[in-house]
Amino acid sequence: MSQPTTAQSVWPRLEPLLTGVRKPARYVGGEDNIVVKDHAGTDARWLLIYPDAYEIGQPNQGIQVLYEVLNEQDRTVAERAFAPWPDMEQLMRERDIPLFSLENHLALRAFDVVGFSLAAEVGYTNLLNCLDLGGLALRAADRGDDDPLVIIGGHAAFNPEPLAPFVDIAVAGDGEEFVLELNELIASTRRAGSDLSRTDLQERVAGIDGAYVPAFYEPRYTSDGRLAGTFPRRSGVPYRVPKRTVSDLDQWPYPKKQLVPLTETVHERYAVEIFRGCTRGCRFCQAGMITRPVRERSKETVKAMVAEGVANTGLNEVGLLSLSSADHSEILGMCGDLADTYEGTATSLSLPSTRVDAFNVELADELIRNGRRTGLTFAPEAGSERMRRVINKMVTEADMLRTAETAFANGWRHIKLYFMIGLPTERDEDVIAIADLGLKVLAIGREYGRKNKVTVSVGGFVPKPHTPFQWCAQDRPEELQRKLGLIKSRVASDRNLNLRYHDPEPGVMEGLLARGDRRVADAVERAFRLGARFDGWHEHYDHGRWMQACDEAGVDVDWFCYRERGEDEVMAWDHVDSGLERDWLWSDLQDAVREKPLDDCRWIPCYDCGVCPGLDLAHQTKHLPLHAGQS
Amino acid sequence: MRVRARYAKDGRLRFISAIDLGRVWERALRKADLPIGYSEGFTPHPKVSFPDALALGCASTGEYVELTFAVPVDVDRTVAAFNAAAPEGLRILDATEVVDGAPRIAKWLRASLWDLRYASYDEGGLDNGVRALAHAEHLPVDRERKGTTTRLDLRPALHMIASLHNAVRVILHHTEPPFRPTEVHQSLCATGGLAGLDAPRLVTRVAQGSPEADGLREALSGRLLPLVPHDSTVAAG
Repeated sequence: MSQPTTAQSVWPRLEPLLTGVRKPARYVGGEDNIVVKDHAGTDARWLLIYPDAYEIGQPNQGIQVLYEVLNEQDRTVAERAFAPWPDMEQLMRERDIPLFSLENHLALRAFDVVGFSLAAEVGYTNLLNCLDLGGLALRAADRGDDDPLVIIGGHAAFNPEPLAPFVDIAVAGDGEEFVLELNELIASTRRAGSDLSRTDLQERVAGIDGAYVPAFYEPRYTSDGRLAGTFPRRSGVPYRVPKRTVSDLDQWPYPKKQLVPLTETVHERYAVEIFRGCTRGCRFCQAGMITRPVRERSKETVKAMVAEGVANTGLNEVGLLSLSSADHSEILGMCGDLADTYEGTATSLSLPSTRVDAFNVELADELIRNGRRTGLTFAPEAGSERMRRVINKMVTEADMLRTAETAFANGWRHIKLYFMIGLPTERDEDVIAIADLGLKVLAIGREYGRKNKVTVSVGGFVPKPHTPFQWCAQDRPEELQRKLGLIKSRVASDRNLNLRYHDPEPGVMEGLLARGDRRVADAVERAFRLGARFDGWHEHYDHGRWMQACDEAGVDVDWFCYRERGEDEVMAWDHVDSGLERDWLWSDLQDAVREKPLDDCRWIPCYDCGVCPGLDLAHQTKHLPLHAGQS
Repeated sequence: MRVRARYAKDGRLRFISAIDLGRVWERALRKADLPIGYSEGFTPHPKVSFPDALALGCASTGEYVELTFAVPVDVDRTVAAFNAAAPEGLRILDATEVVDGAPRIAKWLRASLWDLRYASYDEGGLDNGVRALAHAEHLPVDRERKGTTTRLDLRPALHMIASLHNAVRVILHHTEPPFRPTEVHQSLCATGGLAGLDAPRLVTRVAQGSPEADGLREALSGRLLPLVPHDSTVAAG
């Protein structure tokens, strides 16, 4: 590990370039609540990177929380970096300017730990680009003792294998406690003045609960090319690496001083997580599966955080985040109290993720009070009741229509409905039901106003690790296009029904990276070498380039994406322990195929998904068991 | 109660757009807990108005804003509270209450005093270039917009120009279309005979106001700012 050096800021070289690139505010830092520390006298220096453009990455909650948690430590500094837009990348490469932080404008190599937050798979080529621009060897095995440790976290880190050769450490689950433990390890190593080799350091890191060091594991394959398993290469490392779970959210009241961007970003709000985890049990939903159990933040803590967060930022929107915000046991009181506090001010409240029922409309009414009732969003996810039983999104059509009626009757003028196509067991009639449901909701809307509108948004389903659908085949883009056509032809004539959909091709890359094994890493590197960047951006994604990369790397996309797996197939992520019992996931898939729903274990007896006993935890909620749990 | 202020935009904040700057203003006012007035309607907007926009990348000590407060405020305390809440690079330099019936600030913003700071320079060269501009009858500059190039004459907009060490100081009339300080640089390269001159390291709008024979009368304070501090030569336009 290198000792702190008097690293040079790249700012003097960067500044003259800024008027020649798009959106230069992405690169300058200087935001309200930025933490700028002198590196002299620090024992551990972190660079937190969200591998996408600033305006996408800066609002990321994970980066914000870890930034504060780390910077609250004495003798620790955490800075941020984002992927440079291609115009900036070109100038940086021409002038040999390394990837830099926004606080001190220091090069990536001036840090001890480079941590990437991976909310989704689309950032993988940007991650490689960040390492490359930072002057690091792409493959961890080629890096030296003085190079920073590269670590990944976030939901996509629950299958780290497609990135395994490029990273030193992956950690699944909540980061708050883990980063402090790693920080202490780095700092104490530095204080002891020990000159550790990279392998020795990795070995110590591997001793931290939740740290997966890919170099210490080896995938083996059967003669027919299937994975036989991912096995430890040395003693002392666990066969399965557990995820990390923070137990009392009230002990971690972050963000306290949220960074306030100087330029427009995708979210402009003070964001507070009102709970983590979700046990609604939607079978497609990786986030819900991997973040169990439910851990609520108390109403009082949320209110205190909002008051402080708004005062510290000057933001005028508050987002109450979670995977299904209406499910908080104290949600109505929380929203009521907050709405009272901010009624008549310019501060607005939002619940971004809610379920489909009338209670949701009541909450939305409470939050908006006398404000303008524009759009309400619901996610039935599937069009037919049969399909909703398969995915365990338990809402009947009658419920859905009643909810729409309540919303339009209360003055809401626009309902947005989110759906997926390409779900397991899907038939054409399930797809057509999406269009029909949209039209039925619109018909109700018309009774309350001639100009009322419905937006139907359709995405292609991508099977994800650690879900009951991890065994399922993904639909091919051509099939998704055909299904989209079924919807289009039924709704095309109605001007007040707006159909939105995405190009299905990027879903192929997403599916490959989601369920790929370590062999897929070669395709990621090849795609990067061929110029792939910003794969989540329509204008940058080049499907032909990705397919060429897979071809050249010998990766069979069909095999990874479109093949149904058998019960016993070893998955590339089986050694990452999300707490979910594989047997339970499989039996839940069998229930799905039999169209059998499963209720939420916050109010029915435990059905042994495996998470709570493994973590020695239970739901932290004020919901009463065997209770409807709703108003 | 209406308050008119002159403010500075510099440092990192130079690189944010006029739209972004508006949002930074609104947030700083909220963070400072100042009783800014809001427009009526479903989506109320704070009553903050800017007479004009500064080009991205330029610094300024001569930007103006008009704020309407819902209740009477103490101007000095308001300025102090705002400056404490605003991010680095944004601060109010001077503020005054606007009496009812006072003309709009835009009426007084008839010219800008710019400072173009060069990194590498040859003092004699800059001086010669500036003199050439001051004495030219026409200063053709090419402006590219959406792929077509238009030739415009900068000369009528040029009120005064001088050099001072590594800086060029220039007062430009606010014309329609307005001329930019980068076009003064373009003229120095073309008409001024300084073909190899690198773009200025920093361009600052020092002040805005009314052009006078010996400088610029700053719009808010009414103070006369000479084109350059008195110890240097001024080539009158």
